[in-house]
Amino acid sequence: MDERSVWEKIADQLRSRSMWMLHYCTGCGAVELPPSMTSRFDMERLGMGPMATPRQADILLITGYLSVKTLRRVIYTYEKMADPKYVIGFGSCTINGGIYFDSYSTINRLDYYLPVDLYIAGCMPRPEAILNAFNTLMEMIRKGEANGWKRYKENYEWYKQNQLRSLGEVIVHDEFHE
Amino acid sequence: MTNSMNNNVAEILEKAKKLFDVRVEDIAERQHKLIAENDKTIPLLAFLKESGYSHLSILTCIDWIEEKRFELVYILFNWSNGVTLLVSTFIDRDKPVFYTVKDMWPTAEYYERDVHEFFGVEFEGNERCRLPLFLELWNDLPPLRKDFDPLKFSKEHFPDREYEKDAIHEAKIIRADLEDTRGDING
Amino acid sequence: MGEVKLFFGPNHPGMHGNFSVHMYVEGDIVVKARPLPGFLHRGFEKLMERRLWYQNLALIPRICVPEPDINEACYAMAIEKIAKVEVPERAQWIRMIVLELARIANHLWSFGGIGGPTGMYTSMFWSVSDRDRVLDIFEELTGARIYHMYIIPGGVRKDFPPKLEEKILKLMDYLEQRMPEYETFILKNRILHTRLKGIAKIDTETCLKLGVTGIGLRATGVPYDIRKVDPYLFYDKVEFEIPTATEGDALARMSLKPKEIRQSIRIIRQALEKMPAGPVNTKISDGNGLRIRVPKGMAYARVESTRGEYGYLVVSNGEETPYRVAVRGASYPQGLYGVEHLLPGTRIDDVPIWLDTMGVCAPEIDR
Repeated sequence: MDERSVWEKIADQLRSRSMWMLHYCTGCGAVELPPSMTSRFDMERLGMGPMATPRQADILLITGYLSVKTLRRVIYTYEKMADPKYVIGFGSCTINGGIYFDSYSTINRLDYYLPVDLYIAGCMPRPEAILNAFNTLMEMIRKGEANGWKRYKENYEWYKQNQLRSLGEVIVHDEFHE
Repeated sequence: MTNSMNNNVAEILEKAKKLFDVRVEDIAERQHKLIAENDKTIPLLAFLKESGYSHLSILTCIDWIEEKRFELVYILFNWSNGVTLLVSTFIDRDKPVFYTVKDMWPTAEYYERDVHEFFGVEFEGNERCRLPLFLELWNDLPPLRKDFDPLKFSKEHFPDREYEKDAIHEAKIIRADLEDTRGDING
Repeated sequence: MGEVKLFFGPNHPGMHGNFSVHMYVEGDIVVKARPLPGFLHRGFEKLMERRLWYQNLALIPRICVPEPDINEACYAMAIEKIAKVEVPERAQWIRMIVLELARIANHLWSFGGIGGPTGMYTSMFWSVSDRDRVLDIFEELTGARIYHMYIIPGGVRKDFPPKLEEKILKLMDYLEQRMPEYETFILKNRILHTRLKGIAKIDTETCLKLGVTGIGLRATGVPYDIRKVDPYLFYDKVEFEIPTATEGDALARMSLKPKEIRQSIRIIRQALEKMPAGPVNTKISDGNGLRIRVPKGMAYARVESTRGEYGYLVVSNGEETPYRVAVRGASYPQGLYGVEHLLPGTRIDDVPIWLDTMGVCAPEIDR
C-alpha cells in the first residue's frame, strides 16, 4: 500500500516537523487562531507558524464556511501552493454546510472542490481541537496518509468540473468595472 | 429625556404631518415611524435632515409580496436628543424605481447598491447602482425577494454530502436507549 | 511613472478578516481605491426569514465574529420593543455586564489586530492572552468561548453560576492594573507610537457627513455615544464617562481603547453592586416555549458596539418566523464609502492601519 520511496519517507518525517500554515482567514473560525498561536496555547511548540504567501505555505486552513466569492480565491490560492500541500477543513460548515445548509451563497461540502485531508468538527472548534488536529495531520504525514494533493492531480478533471458547476467561472475580477 | 425635547419631537412630527401629509406611528419611547407618500419622501427627508435628524443609520427595503409593493425604510437619528425616526415609503413591486439620496448622505450610495443587489430596486441618479457589490456573477432573482427560494438554489448549485449511515435513525436508537435508563430526555 | 493596479487582500497578513481593497497606486501613494466586500456573505437576512424566532439566536452571533453579544442584544431588544414586553430587572443588569465584558474582549482583540500592520507582535501576545481570561468568564457563564447565544428575547438564558461574581471582580482588578502597562509599554512604545502618530487622520465634519460613529468619531473630539444619547438597558442608571481625543489620528483612536476599558470596568462594578435578585427571563408570548409568535410590527434597536452604532431593524408579521431582519453593521460607512473616498492620498503601508483603527469588520459589512 505504501508506495513511497525511502527518500520520500525520510522527507515526510522531516516535513511533519516544520509546517507553515497559510495566513488566510476565510471565515469566522479565524477568530480562534490568534489564541492558538499566542502564549496560552502556543502553536509554535509543534513547529508550526503562520506564513504570509501561498508559495511558501504547506497547510491551507479553511476556517469555516466558504462563500462562492471566497472559493474562487481559495482555489487560486491552493493551486499556487507548492507540493506537498495539505488542506484542513475547519468547522461544521465545511463538512456539510452546517447552519448555512440552505444559504444561496455558501457551498455545502468542501471536499467536492478541493481535496481535504482532515476535518475539524464543531462550531467553533476550540484551540485544543485545532492543536489536536495539527497533531493528527502530522501523524498522517508521517504515515503517508495525507496525500490530498496527489488526489487533486489524479482527479483534476473531476474537481474542475465541480468547481465550474458551482461557481460558473473561476476567475477574479477587479472592482473598478472598467 | 427632558420635557422640552419631547415637545421638540412633537413639534417636528406635527410639522411633518402638516407639510408632508405623513402618517405617524409610535413604536417606542424615542422611536417613531413616519409613512410618507412616494413623491413627498425626498423633501421630507431633507426637512428632517435640516431639523437635526442628520444621521442616516441605514436605508433598507422590505418586500411585501402579497400587497405587491416594496417598502423603503430610512432610519434617521438625532444625536442631540436620541430620537429615532423610521421614514418609510411604498413603491410598486413590478416597477421598483425610486430616487437617490446620495447627495444628502454620501454613504447612501452604498446602501442603495446594497438594496439594488438584494431587491432589485433601481435608484435614479445613482449611476453605480447596477454594479455588483456583494455577489459575484449572480444571475438569478435578487436573493432577498420573497419569491426567491435559497434552499432550491443551494440544492441546484451546491451538492450536499450524502451520508452512508442513517444518522436520524441512529439518533432515534440512542434516544430510545436513554429513555429506558434515564427517562424522558426532554424532561 | 505609471499607475499600477494593486489588489490588497483578501489573502494578506495585513488584512483583517476576509476583505479586499483594490487600488491604483503611483509610487507608494494610493490614487484610487475601491472596497471589495462580499467574501463573507452568507445571506443571513434571508436565512433568518426561514428560521423560527428562537432558532435565529444560533445564527445571529455569527454576523459579528469578534463581538457576538451585541447581535443577540439588538435582536432581543427589537423583539421586546415590538412585543412591548418588560424584561426583569436582573436580566437587564446581566445583559449589561455581558455587553461590557464583550466590549473589553473586543478592545483587547483590537490591540492584537494592530500588531500585524505595525509589526509589534508583543501587543498581540499580551492582549490575546488577556482576552482569553475574559473568554474564560464567558465560558463559565454560557458554555462557549466565542458564540454565546446567551441573551434571548425576554431576558437571558440562565442566571449567574455561583461564585462567578467574585471571579468577574477579580478579573476587573487584574485588568485595571494591567491598563497602565498597556498605555506605557504598548502605546508609548517607539514602534507603535511613531508608526501611528499623524497617520489616517480624519476630521469631525467628514465623520458626521459619512455617518461614522464610535471611536472614529470620538477620536475627533465629539462625545457621541449611544449609551448616553439613546440609553438602552440601564445605562442611564450607572455613572461613566465618555473618553474623547482631539487629534483624530490612528494613535488617538488606539489610545481611547484602554480608557474605554476602564469605563467598562467601572460599569461592570456598579452593575454587580446594583443587581437585585429575581427572575432572569420572561415569556414573549403565550403558547409553546420555543415557537413564540411576535405580534405584528416593526422596531429598530441599536447598541453602541466597539466600532460604533450597531442596529437591527426587525419586522414581524405575527408569524412564527421574522418577516424581515435588516442589520446595520457598525463599519458600513467607513468600510465602503470611507475606503473609496478617504484612502486616496495615503501610503500603501498605512492602508492596513487605516482599516484596523477605523474598525472595519468584514463579516458585519457582508452579513
